[in-house]
Amino acid sequence: MPLLAAATPQLTQVPISTGVATALVALLMLTHVQFAAWQQGGYIILAVSDFVGWKRKSERYDRFSKGLVTALGATFAVGGSLAIFAVMILFLGLWAHFWIDVQRVLFWPLVAEAAAFVGEIICLYPLYARWDRLGRVRGLRVGLEVLLFINAELQMLLINMVASYMLTPRNAFNLPAIMMNPTEIPLEIHRMVGNIAWAGAIIALTAGIRLLLRSGHRPDVRPYLDWMGHYGLIYAIGFTIAQPLVGWEYAKEIQLHAYASWYDMMLGGLSVAFLFQVFLLGAIFTVGIFYLWRRVRASGFRSPALAVCTLLSFGAWMLISTPSSLAWSYESVFAANANVPIWQGGLLIPWGAMIPWKLTALVAFTGVTIVALTTYLKYVSRGKLRWGDAGRGQAISLIAVGVAVSLIMALMGFIRENSRGPFLITNHMLINQQQNYSPPSSTGPALQGPASNSGVSVILPVETHP
Amino acid sequence: MAQGLERSPIAAKLTRPVSGLMATTYRWVDERLGVTDLMHQLLYEAVPRRGAWAYSLGSATLIVIILQIVTGMFLLWTYVPSTTEAWESLNFIEHHDEFAAIVRGMHLWGAYILFIVIGLHMVRTFVSGSYKKPRELNWIIGVVLFLLVLGLGITGSMLPWDQAAYWTATVVTHVISYFPLFGTQIEEILRGGPQMGPATLTRFFAIHIWLLPALLVPMIGLHLILLRRHGEHGSWVNYEGVEEETEVERSRRMAAAEAPYPALPSDPGYAVPVDLDEFFPSQVFKDAVVSFALVLIIFVMAIVVGAPLERAANPAALNYVPTPEWFFLPLDQLLVQFPQAWMIPVGVFVVPGIGTTLLMLVPFLDRTPGREPWRRPEVMVPGLFTVLFLVFEAMLAVGRLFNL
Repeated sequence: MPLLAAATPQLTQVPISTGVATALVALLMLTHVQFAAWQQGGYIILAVSDFVGWKRKSERYDRFSKGLVTALGATFAVGGSLAIFAVMILFLGLWAHFWIDVQRVLFWPLVAEAAAFVGEIICLYPLYARWDRLGRVRGLRVGLEVLLFINAELQMLLINMVASYMLTPRNAFNLPAIMMNPTEIPLEIHRMVGNIAWAGAIIALTAGIRLLLRSGHRPDVRPYLDWMGHYGLIYAIGFTIAQPLVGWEYAKEIQLHAYASWYDMMLGGLSVAFLFQVFLLGAIFTVGIFYLWRRVRASGFRSPALAVCTLLSFGAWMLISTPSSLAWSYESVFAANANVPIWQGGLLIPWGAMIPWKLTALVAFTGVTIVALTTYLKYVSRGKLRWGDAGRGQAISLIAVGVAVSLIMALMGFIRENSRGPFLITNHMLINQQQNYSPPSSTGPALQGPASNSGVSVILPVETHP
Repeated sequence: MAQGLERSPIAAKLTRPVSGLMATTYRWVDERLGVTDLMHQLLYEAVPRRGAWAYSLGSATLIVIILQIVTGMFLLWTYVPSTTEAWESLNFIEHHDEFAAIVRGMHLWGAYILFIVIGLHMVRTFVSGSYKKPRELNWIIGVVLFLLVLGLGITGSMLPWDQAAYWTATVVTHVISYFPLFGTQIEEILRGGPQMGPATLTRFFAIHIWLLPALLVPMIGLHLILLRRHGEHGSWVNYEGVEEETEVERSRRMAAAEAPYPALPSDPGYAVPVDLDEFFPSQVFKDAVVSFALVLIIFVMAIVVGAPLERAANPAALNYVPTPEWFFLPLDQLLVQFPQAWMIPVGVFVVPGIGTTLLMLVPFLDRTPGREPWRRPEVMVPGLFTVLFLVFEAMLAVGRLFNL
């Protein structure tokens, strides 16, 4: 590390507080994550839609694919700029310690990340700028879309290594161990599935808003918007089905390898935010199933199965949203010496407990949504739905699902980032170390700090500061 | 012969009459064994034309199973099924018998490839709706074959009697003890007593080389007989346009079809593929290419990677953490998700049991009229989620085991 030590003395402290810096980074990163998630999910939907349009000669899919690639091109320009701004200005300016550590530990994955970013541009630009021309060689265009998705997937895999390393770091000198740290694979699946659902939700949200506008009532537009809303919603709730299982596994790995973070999320100060998150999850399922039921009804079919599914999902939603106590955290319950059920004058609500009640609700969401989706698609596959029949209620449902998915995405980021507090990298680097930086000496003792219990060396120890 | 289905020149050349001593010998044998009739029955039949490469997965499965039987026989020449000599015999193979080491590697990699191929074969059959009337029984037999292969996989992994084998056997037999009511008895039967010991290895050896193959081979025969009886369904792409056909057109097409079509007089729209090809040489060629490629991969992997052999089994090594074979990763992860003792039967027996039962009953649960996957959401949606579930479980298990 001598080279690094020699280079750093030129840095000066940024004159803003830790809170402001953290808020700035959080705001920018949350926005960037939303864009990146949309891109990643959107690419696979684009590839699937264009392929289906090609093979089934469907004008509707063709029109949708063209609109989607235009949107993806435009949002990539914004999202990509945010990413570059985040790295160049915020990380280097405000969180330099963190950035140096991440560069040191995950140098090659980050190089590959940058290469994949360039690859994304190479694949996306021709699709955005020469869509119709590429349509003459349809196989090539679809191939490019698949390549684009693989590129985005690779980027997410690599950046997940950073994100999961921050929560459950492993030996800093063993790259495979860092790359395969305990939360890497659950986070990877969680995000991959979530991003597709998110992209679907954005599509549904767009369709829902446009259905409510005056232009959405035109007979040449309404059938398409109706179909587009249905198409986006299928992705949104279809891929959310996997989240209870994957999220459960993710939480379990956090419990095993970063207990303090897990405790904070499930029973501590962040548990209320987490409760709101499962409330949003329930909203996505319930409103989504409600849409399916009413959409079938709008075309003149009564579906008792979908009505029952909506009711069951609503019951599960209420169950999962029940707090386990009438207090901010579990500590508050004990502090008040009130860890007895509410009917005995305490603060505990037994049916708000994770096991078995919330677990039951999660299982119910999965099962009920599979049944509902299957039932609904049965109507679609038999050609019973007339596109254009969707009413105001369905449009509002689409918007509600889109808003709920957007909120859950932002909230998840907030919970994950705050659960590590006061660490930026668990047991390894504190958040406030970013703002009280002083350059290490040329001999570089600050870069050779003591090893933590997890075998990760501390890069810049606080004890060197006055 | 079906309309438009001409014998290819290659087929004519390969089956042309020969002359001289060879002809005399052939006629002598043919008169007694009916070789020509047999060859015609085996080779001359119509198969669906489109998607034929995907149909080669079935024959590839058969070829890999035959390879497993052959390599298994070779291994029996050296392997000694006893707790004191099993590991020694395999250690001898690994260090002093290069040919046997390659054969052992082929046996292991053949098993791995077999799981992939049989899985793809099932997915192909599922997606194309090939299990529908009148092929329901063939689907059920296929599922049973898959379960038998899984059984062969788990019992085979116990035979080296190294650390991995010993502790895998310990975990597997112990997990079975959670079976309601008779769990302990089944565990004792499999172990040959309350504890792991010499009888355990002998029993798993017997199951691996006698019991399961004795069930497997006749089931394969039955699978093939039923395939010939009903003809290969192929894929929905071979039936495109049948819904627009008139009764007359359909009857004419069915009357002109080559055996084994038309199948039983059920579901006439899907009784005969619109476009037919010859099994020999067209399909045989594709089958041969795919099978050869797989055998080549198995051979290369056997040489380059080989088959691992850990240290000899040591029951005293209590810190050893056994990891399951990759094809059991989803089940292993499922077990972790039911950590409390009273919940283990749910993860080990109830969930997989329900899944297997539903898989077997697919032909009876799928009452959809069409064969195209997008017209069968009733089975495609749960099927897709099942596959995703298994993939995610396997991935999660990899991450967990890596960080043990």
